[in-house]
Amino acid sequence: MVSENDAAARRASDPLTQPPILEAEHLQKAYGGRPALRDLSFSLAPGRILGFLGPNGAGKTTSIRILTTILEPDAGHFAVAGVSSRYPERIRSRIGVLPESQGYPKEMTGIDYLTYFGRHYGWTASEARRIGWALLEVVGLQHRAKSLIGSYSRGMRQRLGIARALVNDPAVVFLDEPTLGLDPRGQQELLVLIRRIARERGAAVVLCSHLLSEIESVCDDVVILSVGQVVAKGSVTEVIGQARGNGVRVQVPLSAVAQAEQVLEALPGVMRIVPKGQGSGWLQVELLDSASGTAPEGDTVNNGILEALIQARIPILTFEAEGSRLQEVFLQLTEEAIR
Amino acid sequence: MSEAGIVHRGGAERSGSWRLVLARELADLWLGGKAMVLLTLFSILLGITAYLMATNNELRLIPIKEIAYLMLKLTVAFGIFMSLILGADSISGERERGTLEGLLLTPTSRRQIVIGKFLAALSPWPPAFVIAIPLIAVLVRESQVVSWSLLWGGILGTVLVVGVTGLAMLVSFWSSSNRTSIAVSLITYLVFLLPTQFPGQAQTGAFGDLLQKWNPLEASNVFLAKVIVNNRSVEEMASWLLAPILFAVLTLGLLFLYASPGLRLEPGRARTQSSWSQAAGLAAIAWVPVALALSLAITHPTAAATSSGSPVQIAVDREWATARTGDAVEFTTLVTNAGSETSPPLIVAMNIINLQGEVVDPEDWSPQRTQSVEPLAPGASIEHTWTIDAILKGDYMVYMVVVPQPAGLESTSLPVASSGIHLTVTPFTRINPRGVLPLAVGIPLGLTASTALLRWRRRRATQAGEA
Repeated sequence: MVSENDAAARRASDPLTQPPILEAEHLQKAYGGRPALRDLSFSLAPGRILGFLGPNGAGKTTSIRILTTILEPDAGHFAVAGVSSRYPERIRSRIGVLPESQGYPKEMTGIDYLTYFGRHYGWTASEARRIGWALLEVVGLQHRAKSLIGSYSRGMRQRLGIARALVNDPAVVFLDEPTLGLDPRGQQELLVLIRRIARERGAAVVLCSHLLSEIESVCDDVVILSVGQVVAKGSVTEVIGQARGNGVRVQVPLSAVAQAEQVLEALPGVMRIVPKGQGSGWLQVELLDSASGTAPEGDTVNNGILEALIQARIPILTFEAEGSRLQEVFLQLTEEAIR
Repeated sequence: MSEAGIVHRGGAERSGSWRLVLARELADLWLGGKAMVLLTLFSILLGITAYLMATNNELRLIPIKEIAYLMLKLTVAFGIFMSLILGADSISGERERGTLEGLLLTPTSRRQIVIGKFLAALSPWPPAFVIAIPLIAVLVRESQVVSWSLLWGGILGTVLVVGVTGLAMLVSFWSSSNRTSIAVSLITYLVFLLPTQFPGQAQTGAFGDLLQKWNPLEASNVFLAKVIVNNRSVEEMASWLLAPILFAVLTLGLLFLYASPGLRLEPGRARTQSSWSQAAGLAAIAWVPVALALSLAITHPTAAATSSGSPVQIAVDREWATARTGDAVEFTTLVTNAGSETSPPLIVAMNIINLQGEVVDPEDWSPQRTQSVEPLAPGASIEHTWTIDAILKGDYMVYMVVVPQPAGLESTSLPVASSGIHLTVTPFTRINPRGVLPLAVGIPLGLTASTALLRWRRRRATQAGEA
């Protein structure tokens, strides 16, 4: 278990300059000879949020279960807050986990649930109860503390699960699909909460999600898995930068589509214009390859496109450079890995 | 919260973390109502059985020792049933409900989790036994029989419940679903019961003896029947205790030393780093065959050892009698040697026939239907007292026969019959036989009221929490 002093220290220092709190080295796992995880290595600094991405069957859940000591790796090693994976019970006192398919005892109240788990980490009943109340306040459930969990909505249960994951003031928090099944407001509230946990408590957060926009908006770092192996890792910006893109998408009012096509076709570096999504005003602008030396650099062309549209007094509703979204990077990298 | 403080306190707490799991499981089991429902069902079943037994006893159908045995047998059987249900649900049920992973993610060791769950699954047994005590006491009413029966019923019941709970938890440990776990546990239970349903011939002889003696359930029943009903000594029947004890030791060894350290999210056992646990677990299993062999060596079947015309006469002291069902009718016989020589050893036997031609089982009518008589000197006579329990209404003829022992293998003798006693039995029923009715009705009602009260309080607490 990580103490308040440690947590305060984590909060006080710059996460980027701190040594990693979670380190995984060459983790491997196979089920009946079929490899589920080939070689997972990464590290995570305190206070940072790591997005764990991958299509179904990529090895995400296996990775999380290994890192949370539910499964033993076939090979490799990891450490949490300096504790080696050879000591799973000690690791468990330093991590907090919200599993994907977490069940809750319906006949128990929220505060009793947190008190019960607090006691598993060595707190006395009164200490565990005090911590439980504080955590219920953190996740916004203090007004339902004495209600039976059976009466909670899915969103409330997820928040209670997060509170339980924090009951030991963990150094690393693992959240597996925390927003699954929540409405957009619930998703947004939970993401804000996750960000607060990382920033205010100084905990490192590993966030597993299928929602790429969610990862992009809340995570500092990302690991993308495909077919059991890492296909990209680094900060979100770095990983997005790995994607190839040679074009932009522009959305203009429908009435201005024809005019915009004329303006853009005349620009140097533009190969062709392809209208997208009938009646939506989207134009796909394909650029010449700058590497050939016959066309300007992509950024220059982008500026030129914007400038030309503004000068022609065409309203620009949306402007996106291809490869600037995590979703595109994800699709490119995972498709390549599958091929 | 300081790191040092937590580690120190945590270390102390974690060695007893099973208490946390136990408290949680007990709350779930008892406040959730599952245990109360099971006990209420049991009390209804036992109440009905007690009432029927009391009625039968009033009719002299069942002697009180047999009532004590049958009540205990039912109590132990229900205890085993509850253990099966609760043990089979304990791990696979949590897997299905998704609550096991949360527990596995805490620093509490796997073995402590299993200990807590095991003790919780045992918890309905003591109350079930306590429910049976007043009913047995009221039915039997002989303090020595009551205490002796409860002592051995309690000991053997506990041993069996412990073993069966361990077995059901092992099944649950390796089951992918709760349904599979409960089905496999019940089938295993039926397999234990199966030999008792074999034809009588298959249950006798060396094979039958083996089947009975090494079936923990059957061995326990035989032990209780012989020690409680047939006045056999514990020393004489001690070998019948081995199977249930070994069964409990074996399942507990497998559960706590071998399986529990490898408790995991998926069915089955994870590889564990502790070779000590494995070695201890395997050692616990390995000594079972040794014990079996030892026990076979000390158990041996007991052999029973066993051993000319006469002018003997037999007379009864009455010609007719009337009685109500449940009454006892007494009469005496006088056997006289009217000859000039000493008679051979004699056997006096009671017979009863229904005058409407219906079949009568004399065993139901009298606990003692034969008496032996030593050789009578010429002119000597001997008197015997007999009791008939009037169990069914009707017209009967009771007659006595005196049979001289034949002089040898290739000879016979001449049985002599008495005059008959014409017995008329009229019906009679009691609403409260042996005073058992208030308990038979009161205990289930009390338990139902307690269950309802618990639920009501729980609902009120929930409403208060939500308000």
